[in-house]
Amino acid sequence: MAKPTDRKQPVRMMIAGVLAWIVAIVFALKFGATGGSDPEIVAQIRLPRVILASAVGMGLSVAGATLQALFANPLCEPYTLGISSGAALGAVIGVALGLEMSMAGLAGSAFLGALVFAFVLYLIASRTRSASMSLLLAGVVMGFFGSSLVALWMALADSSGVQGAMLWLMGDLSRARPGGSVFTFTAVLILALMVWSRWRALDAFLMGEDTAGSLGVSVSAVRRRLVIILSLLIGLCVSAAGMIGFVGLVVPHFARRQCGSVHLGLLPACAVWGAAVLVLADLVARVAARPYELPVGVVTALVGTPLFMWMILRRGRDVT
Amino acid sequence: MSKTILGAYCLSFSYGHKRPALDEISIELMQGGIMALLGPNASGKTTLLKALAGLFPRNEFSGIVRYCGLDFFGYPHSERAKRVVYVSQDMRAEFPLTAYDAVMMGRLCYGARLFVHASRADHDAVQSAMERCACWELRSRMIDALSGGERQLVLFARALAQGARVLLLDETLSRMDLHHQAMAGRILRGLSAQGYSTVLVAHDVNLASEWADTCVMMQKGRVVASGPVKEVFGAGHLGGLYPGAEITVAPSPVSGAPKVYFGRR
Repeated sequence: MAKPTDRKQPVRMMIAGVLAWIVAIVFALKFGATGGSDPEIVAQIRLPRVILASAVGMGLSVAGATLQALFANPLCEPYTLGISSGAALGAVIGVALGLEMSMAGLAGSAFLGALVFAFVLYLIASRTRSASMSLLLAGVVMGFFGSSLVALWMALADSSGVQGAMLWLMGDLSRARPGGSVFTFTAVLILALMVWSRWRALDAFLMGEDTAGSLGVSVSAVRRRLVIILSLLIGLCVSAAGMIGFVGLVVPHFARRQCGSVHLGLLPACAVWGAAVLVLADLVARVAARPYELPVGVVTALVGTPLFMWMILRRGRDVT
Repeated sequence: MSKTILGAYCLSFSYGHKRPALDEISIELMQGGIMALLGPNASGKTTLLKALAGLFPRNEFSGIVRYCGLDFFGYPHSERAKRVVYVSQDMRAEFPLTAYDAVMMGRLCYGARLFVHASRADHDAVQSAMERCACWELRSRMIDALSGGERQLVLFARALAQGARVLLLDETLSRMDLHHQAMAGRILRGLSAQGYSTVLVAHDVNLASEWADTCVMMQKGRVVASGPVKEVFGAGHLGGLYPGAEITVAPSPVSGAPKVYFGRR
Protein backbone atom coordinates (compact mmCIF):
# COMPACT_ATOMS: atom_id res chain seq x y z
CA MET A 1 0.00 0.00 0.00
CA ALA A 2 1.37 3.40 -0.91
CA LYS A 3 2.17 5.65 2.00
CA PRO A 4 0.32 8.93 1.43
CA THR A 5 2.46 11.10 3.66
CA ASP A 6 6.21 11.18 3.89
CA ARG A 7 6.89 9.67 7.30
CA LYS A 8 10.63 10.04 6.76
CA GLN A 9 10.46 13.85 6.69
CA PRO A 10 10.34 14.19 10.53
CA VAL A 11 13.35 11.82 10.73
CA ARG A 12 15.28 13.90 8.18
CA MET A 13 14.31 17.01 10.11
CA MET A 14 15.58 15.41 13.33
CA ILE A 15 18.90 14.44 11.76
CA ALA A 16 19.35 17.93 10.33
CA GLY A 17 18.48 19.37 13.75
CA VAL A 18 21.00 17.18 15.54
CA LEU A 19 23.71 18.19 13.03
CA ALA A 20 22.82 21.88 13.48
CA TRP A 21 22.94 21.41 17.25
CA ILE A 22 26.37 19.76 17.09
CA VAL A 23 27.75 22.51 14.85
CA ALA A 24 26.31 25.16 17.18
CA ILE A 25 27.87 23.45 20.20
CA VAL A 26 31.30 23.24 18.54
CA PHE A 27 31.26 26.96 17.71
CA ALA A 28 29.81 27.88 21.11
CA LEU A 29 32.64 26.01 22.86
CA LYS A 30 35.28 27.50 20.60
CA PHE A 31 34.25 31.18 20.73
CA GLY A 32 33.37 33.32 23.68
CA ALA A 33 33.71 36.74 25.25
CA THR A 34 37.42 36.22 25.86
CA GLY A 35 38.19 34.72 22.48
CA GLY A 36 40.54 32.03 23.80
CA SER A 37 40.00 28.28 24.18
CA ASP A 38 41.48 27.74 27.61
CA PRO A 39 40.30 24.25 28.74
CA GLU A 40 39.36 25.66 32.14
CA ILE A 41 37.14 28.34 30.55
CA VAL A 42 35.58 25.79 28.20
CA ALA A 43 34.84 23.30 31.00
CA GLN A 44 33.71 25.70 33.69
CA ILE A 45 32.01 28.48 31.73
CA ARG A 46 31.20 27.63 28.12
CA LEU A 47 30.17 24.00 28.49
CA PRO A 48 27.65 24.63 31.32
CA ARG A 49 26.32 27.54 29.30
CA VAL A 50 25.91 25.37 26.19
CA ILE A 51 24.13 22.69 28.23
CA LEU A 52 21.81 25.27 29.80
CA ALA A 53 21.08 26.94 26.43
CA SER A 54 20.28 23.50 24.98
CA ALA A 55 17.96 22.70 27.89
CA VAL A 56 16.14 26.04 27.78
CA GLY A 57 15.81 26.03 23.97
CA MET A 58 14.50 22.49 24.05
CA GLY A 59 12.09 23.24 26.91
CA LEU A 60 10.67 26.45 25.43
CA SER A 61 10.21 24.93 21.95
CA VAL A 62 8.46 21.83 23.25
CA ALA A 63 6.33 23.99 25.57
CA GLY A 64 5.42 26.31 22.67
CA ALA A 65 4.41 23.47 20.34
CA THR A 66 2.40 21.84 23.13
CA LEU A 67 0.58 25.04 24.14
CA GLN A 68 -0.29 25.70 20.50
CA ALA A 69 -1.90 22.28 20.24
CA LEU A 70 -3.49 22.33 23.67
CA PHE A 71 -5.33 25.57 22.99
CA ALA A 72 -5.59 25.02 19.21
CA ASN A 73 -4.00 28.38 18.53
CA PRO A 74 -0.78 28.82 16.52
CA LEU A 75 0.05 32.06 18.37
CA CYS A 76 0.33 30.43 21.78
CA GLU A 77 3.71 30.10 23.47
CA PRO A 78 4.94 30.56 27.06
CA TYR A 79 5.68 34.24 26.39
CA THR A 80 2.48 35.30 24.60
CA LEU A 81 0.28 33.42 27.07
CA GLY A 82 1.95 35.20 29.98
CA ILE A 83 3.13 31.96 31.62
CA SER A 84 6.75 33.12 31.39
CA SER A 85 5.72 36.31 33.21
CA GLY A 86 4.07 34.17 35.87
CA ALA A 87 7.27 32.18 36.24
CA ALA A 88 9.34 35.39 36.41
CA LEU A 89 6.99 36.78 39.05
CA GLY A 90 7.30 33.53 41.02
CA ALA A 91 11.10 33.68 40.75
CA VAL A 92 11.12 37.31 41.92
CA ILE A 93 8.96 36.39 44.92
CA GLY A 94 11.42 33.53 45.54
CA VAL A 95 14.30 36.03 45.50
CA ALA A 96 12.37 38.31 47.87
CA LEU A 97 11.97 35.34 50.21
CA GLY A 98 15.69 34.62 50.06
CA LEU A 99 15.52 31.49 47.87
CA GLU A 100 17.92 32.72 45.16
CA MET A 101 20.84 30.79 46.60
CA SER A 102 19.16 27.47 45.93
CA MET A 103 18.55 26.34 42.32
CA ALA A 104 15.69 24.09 43.42
CA GLY A 105 14.17 26.85 45.54
CA LEU A 106 14.20 29.35 42.68
CA ALA A 107 12.93 26.79 40.17
CA GLY A 108 10.21 25.81 42.63
CA SER A 109 8.97 29.36 43.11
CA ALA A 110 9.11 29.97 39.32
CA PHE A 111 7.14 26.75 38.83
CA LEU A 112 4.48 27.94 41.30
CA GLY A 113 4.24 31.29 39.50
CA ALA A 114 3.91 29.54 36.12
CA LEU A 115 1.38 27.10 37.57
CA VAL A 116 -0.86 29.87 38.95
CA PHE A 117 -0.86 31.74 35.62
CA ALA A 118 -1.31 28.52 33.60
CA PHE A 119 -4.23 27.44 35.77
CA VAL A 120 -5.95 30.80 35.34
CA LEU A 121 -5.60 30.20 31.57
CA TYR A 122 -6.89 26.66 32.01
CA LEU A 123 -9.97 27.96 33.85
CA ILE A 124 -10.56 30.57 31.15
CA ALA A 125 -10.19 27.88 28.48
CA SER A 126 -12.72 25.70 30.31
CA ARG A 127 -15.19 28.55 30.76
CA THR A 128 -14.91 29.87 27.20
CA ARG A 129 -14.65 26.37 25.71
CA SER A 130 -11.23 27.32 24.32
CA ALA A 131 -12.36 30.40 22.40
CA SER A 132 -8.90 31.09 21.02
CA MET A 133 -9.03 34.87 20.96
CA SER A 134 -10.35 35.19 24.53
CA LEU A 135 -7.60 32.89 25.72
CA LEU A 136 -4.86 34.76 23.89
CA LEU A 137 -6.13 38.15 25.09
CA ALA A 138 -6.30 36.82 28.65
CA GLY A 139 -2.73 35.54 28.30
CA VAL A 140 -1.44 38.86 26.96
CA VAL A 141 -3.16 40.77 29.76
CA MET A 142 -1.83 38.39 32.41
CA GLY A 143 1.63 38.72 30.90
CA PHE A 144 1.40 42.52 31.33
CA PHE A 145 0.14 42.04 34.86
CA GLY A 146 3.02 39.72 35.79
CA SER A 147 5.61 41.98 34.14
CA SER A 148 4.17 45.01 35.93
CA LEU A 149 4.48 43.33 39.31
CA VAL A 150 8.07 42.37 38.49
CA ALA A 151 8.76 45.99 37.44
CA LEU A 152 7.17 47.20 40.69
CA TRP A 153 9.50 44.92 42.63
CA MET A 154 12.48 46.30 40.73
CA ALA A 155 11.37 49.89 41.36
CA LEU A 156 11.17 49.26 45.08
CA ALA A 157 14.26 47.04 45.33
CA ASP A 158 17.83 48.00 46.11
CA SER A 159 19.14 49.67 42.92
CA SER A 160 22.37 47.63 42.88
CA GLY A 161 20.45 44.46 42.07
CA VAL A 162 18.16 46.01 39.49
CA GLN A 163 20.57 45.83 36.53
CA GLY A 164 21.17 42.14 37.14
CA ALA A 165 17.44 41.53 37.40
CA MET A 166 16.83 43.48 34.19
CA LEU A 167 19.40 41.37 32.33
CA TRP A 168 17.86 38.19 33.72
CA LEU A 169 14.39 39.29 32.59
CA MET A 170 15.67 39.85 29.05
CA GLY A 171 17.18 36.38 28.98
CA ASP A 172 20.50 35.63 30.61
CA LEU A 173 22.44 32.39 30.42
CA SER A 174 25.55 33.72 32.15
CA ARG A 175 24.52 32.25 35.51
CA ALA A 176 25.03 28.70 34.17
CA ARG A 177 26.97 26.46 36.57
CA PRO A 178 28.14 22.90 35.80
CA GLY A 179 25.90 21.09 38.31
CA GLY A 180 22.86 23.30 37.82
CA SER A 181 22.98 23.04 34.02
CA VAL A 182 23.08 19.25 34.05
CA PHE A 183 20.18 19.21 36.54
CA THR A 184 18.12 21.57 34.34
CA PHE A 185 18.95 19.60 31.17
CA THR A 186 17.98 16.28 32.76
CA ALA A 187 14.75 17.69 34.20
CA VAL A 188 13.80 19.32 30.87
CA LEU A 189 14.49 16.06 29.02
CA ILE A 190 12.28 14.04 31.39
CA LEU A 191 9.45 16.60 31.22
CA ALA A 192 9.72 16.77 27.41
CA LEU A 193 9.46 12.97 27.27
CA MET A 194 6.36 13.13 29.46
CA VAL A 195 4.80 15.59 27.03
CA TRP A 196 5.87 13.48 24.03
CA SER A 197 4.16 10.38 25.43
CA ARG A 198 0.85 12.26 24.99
CA TRP A 199 1.43 12.96 21.28
CA ARG A 200 -1.82 11.34 20.16
CA ALA A 201 -3.95 13.50 22.45
CA LEU A 202 -2.06 16.60 21.26
CA ASP A 203 -2.85 15.68 17.64
CA ALA A 204 -6.53 15.49 18.56
CA PHE A 205 -6.42 18.88 20.33
CA LEU A 206 -5.39 20.52 17.02
CA MET A 207 -8.97 19.98 15.91
CA GLY A 208 -10.53 21.71 18.92
CA GLU A 209 -11.73 20.27 22.19
CA ASP A 210 -15.11 18.95 20.98
CA THR A 211 -13.43 16.91 18.27
CA ALA A 212 -10.71 15.78 20.68
CA GLY A 213 -13.42 14.55 23.06
CA SER A 214 -15.20 12.76 20.23
CA LEU A 215 -11.93 11.08 19.23
CA GLY A 216 -11.62 9.54 22.69
CA VAL A 217 -9.48 12.07 24.56
CA SER A 218 -10.38 12.94 28.14
CA VAL A 219 -10.06 16.66 27.41
CA SER A 220 -10.05 18.13 30.91
CA ALA A 221 -7.84 15.41 32.44
CA VAL A 222 -5.21 15.58 29.67
CA ARG A 223 -5.23 19.36 29.67
CA ARG A 224 -4.87 19.50 33.47
CA ARG A 225 -1.89 17.09 33.45
CA LEU A 226 -0.19 18.88 30.60
CA VAL A 227 -0.68 22.28 32.24
CA ILE A 228 1.15 20.97 35.33
CA ILE A 229 3.99 19.46 33.26
CA LEU A 230 4.31 22.62 31.14
CA SER A 231 4.33 24.83 34.24
CA LEU A 232 7.25 22.81 35.56
CA LEU A 233 9.00 23.02 32.21
CA ILE A 234 8.51 26.78 31.81
CA GLY A 235 9.28 27.43 35.49
CA LEU A 236 12.58 25.58 35.12
CA CYS A 237 13.53 27.44 31.95
CA VAL A 238 12.60 30.90 33.29
CA SER A 239 14.28 30.40 36.67
CA ALA A 240 17.46 29.26 34.88
CA ALA A 241 17.59 31.79 32.06
CA GLY A 242 14.94 34.49 32.49
CA MET A 243 12.36 35.36 29.87
CA ILE A 244 13.33 34.35 26.36
CA GLY A 245 10.65 34.98 23.78
CA PHE A 246 10.17 33.80 20.18
CA VAL A 247 11.97 30.44 20.52
CA GLY A 248 8.66 28.84 21.61
CA LEU A 249 6.88 30.46 18.67
CA VAL A 250 9.32 30.41 15.77
CA VAL A 251 10.83 26.94 16.22
CA PRO A 252 7.46 25.05 16.33
CA HIS A 253 6.23 27.01 13.29
CA PHE A 254 9.40 26.21 11.38
CA ALA A 255 9.24 22.53 12.40
CA ARG A 256 5.55 22.26 11.48
CA ARG A 257 6.22 23.63 8.02
CA GLN A 258 8.95 21.08 7.48
CA CYS A 259 7.46 17.94 9.00
CA GLY A 260 3.74 18.51 9.53
CA SER A 261 1.73 18.66 12.72
CA VAL A 262 1.77 15.03 13.89
CA HIS A 263 3.36 15.40 17.33
CA LEU A 264 5.12 12.04 17.21
CA GLY A 265 7.64 13.61 14.82
CA LEU A 266 7.04 17.27 15.59
CA LEU A 267 8.02 17.34 19.27
CA PRO A 268 11.46 15.70 18.86
CA ALA A 269 12.15 17.99 15.90
CA CYS A 270 11.17 21.01 18.03
CA ALA A 271 13.40 19.76 20.85
CA VAL A 272 16.60 19.47 18.81
CA TRP A 273 16.00 22.60 16.71
CA GLY A 274 15.08 24.58 19.83
CA ALA A 275 18.34 23.50 21.46
CA ALA A 276 20.36 24.34 18.33
CA VAL A 277 18.72 27.76 17.91
CA LEU A 278 19.30 28.87 21.49
CA VAL A 279 22.91 27.65 21.58
CA LEU A 280 23.49 29.65 18.40
CA ALA A 281 21.59 32.70 19.72
CA ASP A 282 23.66 32.61 22.91
CA LEU A 283 26.86 32.43 20.85
CA VAL A 284 25.76 35.55 18.94
CA ALA A 285 24.86 37.24 22.25
CA ARG A 286 28.36 36.56 23.58
CA VAL A 287 30.46 37.53 20.56
CA ALA A 288 28.44 40.14 18.63
CA ALA A 289 29.35 43.09 20.87
CA ARG A 290 32.54 41.84 22.53
CA PRO A 291 33.63 42.53 25.23
CA TYR A 292 30.02 43.29 26.21
CA GLU A 293 27.39 40.61 26.27
CA LEU A 294 23.89 41.06 24.84
CA PRO A 295 20.85 39.55 26.57
CA VAL A 296 20.03 36.37 24.64
CA GLY A 297 16.30 37.27 24.68
CA VAL A 298 17.15 40.40 22.69
CA VAL A 299 18.99 38.30 20.08
CA THR A 300 16.11 35.80 19.71
CA ALA A 301 13.63 38.67 19.35
CA LEU A 302 15.78 40.62 16.84
CA VAL A 303 16.32 37.55 14.66
CA GLY A 304 12.95 35.91 15.36
CA THR A 305 10.72 38.86 14.43
CA PRO A 306 11.75 39.26 10.78
CA LEU A 307 11.98 35.48 10.39
CA PHE A 308 8.46 35.02 11.70
CA MET A 309 7.14 37.82 9.47
CA TRP A 310 8.73 36.14 6.47
CA MET A 311 7.17 32.79 7.43
CA ILE A 312 3.71 34.37 7.76
CA LEU A 313 4.02 36.12 4.40
CA ARG A 314 5.27 32.96 2.71
CA ARG A 315 2.48 30.89 4.21
CA GLY A 316 -0.10 33.45 3.06
CA ARG A 317 1.32 33.32 -0.47
CA ASP A 318 1.28 29.49 -0.46
CA VAL A 319 -2.37 29.36 0.61
CA THR A 320 -3.56 31.98 -1.84
CA MET B 1 -37.70 -5.77 16.20
CA SER B 2 -34.69 -3.48 16.41
CA LYS B 3 -33.47 -2.35 19.82
CA THR B 4 -32.59 1.06 21.12
CA ILE B 5 -28.87 1.66 20.74
CA LEU B 6 -28.62 5.21 22.08
CA GLY B 7 -31.15 7.03 24.21
CA ALA B 8 -31.35 10.33 26.04
CA TYR B 9 -33.79 10.61 28.91
CA CYS B 10 -34.95 13.86 30.55
CA LEU B 11 -31.84 15.65 29.31
CA SER B 12 -31.51 19.29 30.38
CA PHE B 13 -28.54 21.56 29.78
CA SER B 14 -27.88 25.27 29.74
CA TYR B 15 -24.90 27.44 28.80
CA GLY B 16 -24.35 29.62 31.88
CA HIS B 17 -27.49 31.26 33.20
CA LYS B 18 -29.26 31.56 29.87
CA ARG B 19 -32.48 29.73 29.07
CA PRO B 20 -31.96 25.98 28.80
CA ALA B 21 -30.45 24.87 25.51
CA LEU B 22 -31.99 21.46 26.19
CA ASP B 23 -35.17 21.25 28.24
CA GLU B 24 -36.16 17.75 29.45
CA ILE B 25 -35.36 16.09 26.11
CA SER B 26 -36.00 12.37 25.65
CA ILE B 27 -35.21 10.61 22.38
CA GLU B 28 -34.30 7.08 21.34
CA LEU B 29 -32.22 6.00 18.36
CA MET B 30 -32.84 2.48 17.04
CA GLN B 31 -30.10 0.16 15.89
CA GLY B 32 -29.78 0.56 12.13
CA GLY B 33 -31.92 3.69 12.17
CA ILE B 34 -31.28 7.02 10.49
CA MET B 35 -32.83 9.86 12.45
CA ALA B 36 -33.09 13.39 11.09
CA LEU B 37 -32.87 16.11 13.70
CA LEU B 38 -34.55 19.26 12.40
CA GLY B 39 -35.25 22.67 13.83
CA PRO B 40 -34.54 26.37 13.36
CA ASN B 41 -31.26 27.96 14.40
CA ALA B 42 -30.56 27.86 18.17
CA SER B 43 -33.14 25.15 18.77
CA GLY B 44 -30.57 22.94 20.57
CA LYS B 45 -29.70 20.40 17.86
CA THR B 46 -25.92 20.69 18.14
CA THR B 47 -26.10 20.76 21.95
CA LEU B 48 -28.17 17.57 21.89
CA LEU B 49 -25.66 15.83 19.60
CA LYS B 50 -22.75 16.86 21.85
CA ALA B 51 -24.61 15.64 24.94
CA LEU B 52 -25.33 12.31 23.19
CA ALA B 53 -21.63 12.02 22.31
CA GLY B 54 -20.65 12.58 25.95
CA LEU B 55 -18.81 15.82 25.23
CA PHE B 56 -20.17 17.71 28.24
CA PRO B 57 -18.92 16.87 31.73
CA ARG B 58 -21.40 14.68 33.59
CA ASN B 59 -22.03 17.33 36.27
CA GLU B 60 -23.03 20.01 33.75
CA PHE B 61 -26.36 18.50 32.69
CA SER B 62 -29.22 16.58 34.22
CA GLY B 63 -30.78 13.43 32.83
CA ILE B 64 -29.05 10.37 31.46
CA VAL B 65 -27.62 9.07 28.19
CA ARG B 66 -27.73 5.30 27.72
CA TYR B 67 -25.85 3.19 25.17
CA CYS B 68 -27.42 -0.27 24.76
CA GLY B 69 -29.17 0.29 28.07
CA LEU B 70 -26.01 1.20 30.03
CA ASP B 71 -25.01 4.62 31.35
CA PHE B 72 -22.86 6.00 28.52
CA PHE B 73 -20.73 7.96 31.00
CA GLY B 74 -19.74 4.69 32.65
CA TYR B 75 -17.49 3.98 29.64
CA PRO B 76 -13.93 5.36 29.51
CA HIS B 77 -13.45 8.11 26.90
CA SER B 78 -11.71 5.85 24.38
CA GLU B 79 -14.49 3.25 24.65
CA ARG B 80 -17.11 5.96 24.12
CA ALA B 81 -15.27 7.02 20.94
CA LYS B 82 -15.42 3.44 19.63
CA ARG B 83 -19.21 3.48 20.04
CA VAL B 84 -20.38 7.01 19.24
CA VAL B 85 -18.73 9.62 17.02
CA TYR B 86 -19.72 13.30 16.78
CA VAL B 87 -18.82 14.98 13.50
CA SER B 88 -19.03 18.75 13.17
CA GLN B 89 -19.70 20.63 9.94
CA ASP B 90 -16.11 21.76 9.46
CA MET B 91 -12.66 21.04 10.79
CA ARG B 92 -10.12 23.49 12.11
CA ALA B 93 -7.34 24.10 9.65
CA GLU B 94 -4.92 26.42 11.47
CA PHE B 95 -2.18 23.79 11.53
CA PRO B 96 -0.52 22.06 8.56
CA LEU B 97 -2.02 18.60 8.40
CA THR B 98 -2.63 16.31 5.45
CA ALA B 99 -6.08 14.88 4.77
CA TYR B 100 -4.63 11.43 5.48
CA ASP B 101 -3.38 12.48 8.92
CA ALA B 102 -6.74 14.10 9.65
CA VAL B 103 -8.54 10.83 8.88
CA MET B 104 -5.94 8.86 10.85
CA MET B 105 -7.07 10.79 13.93
CA GLY B 106 -10.20 8.64 13.82
CA ARG B 107 -8.00 5.71 14.87
CA LEU B 108 -6.72 7.49 17.98
CA CYS B 109 -9.07 5.61 20.30
CA TYR B 110 -7.55 2.29 19.19
CA GLY B 111 -4.14 3.53 20.47
CA ALA B 112 -1.38 1.51 18.82
CA ARG B 113 1.98 1.24 20.60
CA LEU B 114 3.17 4.37 22.36
CA PHE B 115 5.71 5.71 19.90
CA VAL B 116 4.37 4.03 16.74
CA HIS B 117 2.39 6.25 14.42
CA ALA B 118 -0.15 3.66 13.28
CA SER B 119 -0.60 -0.07 12.89
CA ARG B 120 -1.22 -1.83 9.57
CA ALA B 121 -4.90 -2.19 10.59
CA ASP B 122 -5.08 1.59 11.13
CA HIS B 123 -3.59 2.29 7.67
CA ASP B 124 -6.04 -0.14 6.07
CA ALA B 125 -9.03 1.34 7.92
CA VAL B 126 -8.04 4.86 6.83
CA GLN B 127 -7.51 3.87 3.19
CA SER B 128 -10.78 1.97 3.11
CA ALA B 129 -12.74 4.89 4.62
CA MET B 130 -11.15 7.45 2.29
CA GLU B 131 -11.78 5.32 -0.79
CA ARG B 132 -15.37 4.80 0.28
CA CYS B 133 -15.85 8.56 0.62
CA ALA B 134 -14.09 9.22 -2.69
CA CYS B 135 -11.38 11.33 -1.05
CA TRP B 136 -8.36 8.99 -1.25
CA GLU B 137 -6.87 11.17 -3.97
CA LEU B 138 -6.91 14.09 -1.51
CA ARG B 139 -4.72 12.20 0.99
CA SER B 140 -1.54 14.21 0.49
CA ARG B 141 -3.27 17.61 0.30
CA MET B 142 -3.14 19.95 3.28
CA ILE B 143 -6.56 20.44 4.87
CA ASP B 144 -6.29 24.23 4.70
CA ALA B 145 -5.99 23.93 0.91
CA LEU B 146 -9.21 21.90 0.57
CA SER B 147 -12.63 23.36 -0.26
CA GLY B 148 -15.39 23.23 2.34
CA GLY B 149 -17.03 20.27 0.59
CA GLU B 150 -13.73 18.36 0.33
CA ARG B 151 -13.08 18.95 4.04
CA GLN B 152 -16.51 17.50 4.79
CA LEU B 153 -15.63 14.39 2.78
CA VAL B 154 -12.48 14.05 4.89
CA LEU B 155 -14.51 14.52 8.07
CA PHE B 156 -16.98 11.88 6.95
CA ALA B 157 -14.10 9.51 6.14
CA ARG B 158 -12.64 10.12 9.60
CA ALA B 159 -15.97 9.17 11.17
CA LEU B 160 -16.04 5.94 9.13
CA ALA B 161 -12.40 5.16 10.03
CA GLN B 162 -13.31 5.55 13.70
CA GLY B 163 -15.68 2.60 13.27
CA ALA B 164 -18.25 3.75 15.83
CA ARG B 165 -21.69 2.14 15.70
CA VAL B 166 -23.45 5.50 16.07
CA LEU B 167 -22.68 8.51 13.85
CA LEU B 168 -23.84 11.94 14.98
CA LEU B 169 -23.54 14.14 11.90
CA ASP B 170 -23.92 17.86 12.60
CA GLU B 171 -24.51 19.46 9.20
CA THR B 172 -21.64 17.29 7.98
CA LEU B 173 -23.05 16.97 4.45
CA SER B 174 -24.09 20.62 4.07
CA ARG B 175 -21.22 21.81 1.85
CA MET B 176 -20.92 18.74 -0.33
CA ASP B 177 -22.09 18.97 -3.93
CA LEU B 178 -25.12 16.93 -4.99
CA HIS B 179 -22.99 14.05 -6.27
CA HIS B 180 -21.20 13.67 -2.95
CA GLN B 181 -24.35 14.24 -0.88
CA ALA B 182 -26.00 11.36 -2.73
CA MET B 183 -22.88 9.24 -2.21
CA ALA B 184 -22.87 10.03 1.52
CA GLY B 185 -26.58 9.19 1.71
CA ARG B 186 -25.96 5.83 0.05
CA ILE B 187 -23.11 5.14 2.47
CA LEU B 188 -25.41 5.91 5.40
CA ARG B 189 -28.04 3.58 3.97
CA GLY B 190 -25.42 0.83 3.54
CA LEU B 191 -24.22 1.32 7.11
CA SER B 192 -27.80 1.23 8.31
CA ALA B 193 -28.23 -2.20 6.70
CA GLN B 194 -25.17 -3.35 8.66
CA GLY B 195 -26.68 -2.16 11.96
CA TYR B 196 -24.98 1.24 12.22
CA SER B 197 -27.18 4.12 13.37
CA THR B 198 -27.06 7.79 12.43
CA VAL B 199 -28.45 11.05 13.72
CA LEU B 200 -28.38 13.59 10.92
CA VAL B 201 -28.72 17.29 11.68
CA ALA B 202 -29.54 19.17 8.49
CA HIS B 203 -31.06 22.49 7.55
CA ASP B 204 -31.77 20.96 4.16
CA VAL B 205 -35.05 19.29 5.05
CA ASN B 206 -35.26 17.51 1.69
CA LEU B 207 -31.87 15.91 2.25
CA ALA B 208 -33.12 14.73 5.63
CA SER B 209 -36.40 13.39 4.29
CA GLU B 210 -34.61 11.53 1.49
CA TRP B 211 -32.26 9.54 3.71
CA ALA B 212 -33.82 9.38 7.19
CA ASP B 213 -36.39 6.88 8.50
CA THR B 214 -37.43 8.87 11.52
CA CYS B 215 -37.45 12.53 12.35
CA VAL B 216 -37.26 14.60 15.52
CA MET B 217 -38.19 18.26 15.33
CA MET B 218 -36.84 20.64 17.96
CA GLN B 219 -37.68 24.17 18.96
CA LYS B 220 -36.25 26.19 21.88
CA GLY B 221 -34.59 23.14 23.37
CA ARG B 222 -37.67 20.95 23.30
CA VAL B 223 -38.94 18.15 21.08
CA VAL B 224 -42.06 19.34 19.28
CA ALA B 225 -42.63 16.30 17.08
CA SER B 226 -41.08 12.90 16.49
CA GLY B 227 -41.86 9.75 14.53
CA PRO B 228 -41.49 8.32 11.02
CA VAL B 229 -40.52 10.96 8.46
CA LYS B 230 -43.72 10.66 6.40
CA GLU B 231 -45.92 11.12 9.46
CA VAL B 232 -44.01 14.03 10.95
CA PHE B 233 -43.62 15.88 7.64
CA GLY B 234 -47.26 15.24 6.78
CA ALA B 235 -48.57 16.56 10.08
CA GLY B 236 -47.78 20.20 9.27
CA HIS B 237 -45.15 20.71 11.98
CA LEU B 238 -42.68 22.25 9.55
CA GLY B 239 -44.87 25.31 9.09
CA GLY B 240 -44.73 25.89 12.84
CA LEU B 241 -40.94 25.48 12.94
CA TYR B 242 -40.29 27.81 10.04
CA PRO B 243 -43.11 30.42 10.05
CA GLY B 244 -42.97 32.66 7.04
CA ALA B 245 -41.32 30.04 4.84
CA GLU B 246 -44.71 29.22 3.23
CA ILE B 247 -44.07 25.51 3.25
CA THR B 248 -45.84 22.94 1.12
CA VAL B 249 -45.14 19.23 1.56
CA ALA B 250 -45.75 16.82 -1.35
CA PRO B 251 -44.47 13.30 -2.05
CA SER B 252 -41.49 12.98 -4.37
CA PRO B 253 -42.58 11.52 -7.74
CA VAL B 254 -39.39 9.42 -7.73
CA SER B 255 -38.85 8.07 -4.22
CA GLY B 256 -42.21 8.85 -2.61
CA ALA B 257 -40.40 10.56 0.27
CA PRO B 258 -42.06 13.80 1.41
CA LYS B 259 -40.54 16.81 -0.31
CA VAL B 260 -40.70 20.33 0.99
CA TYR B 261 -41.37 23.32 -1.25
CA PHE B 262 -41.05 26.80 0.15
CA GLY B 263 -40.97 30.46 -0.78
CA ARG B 264 -43.43 32.30 -3.00
CA ARG B 265 -46.42 30.22 -3.89
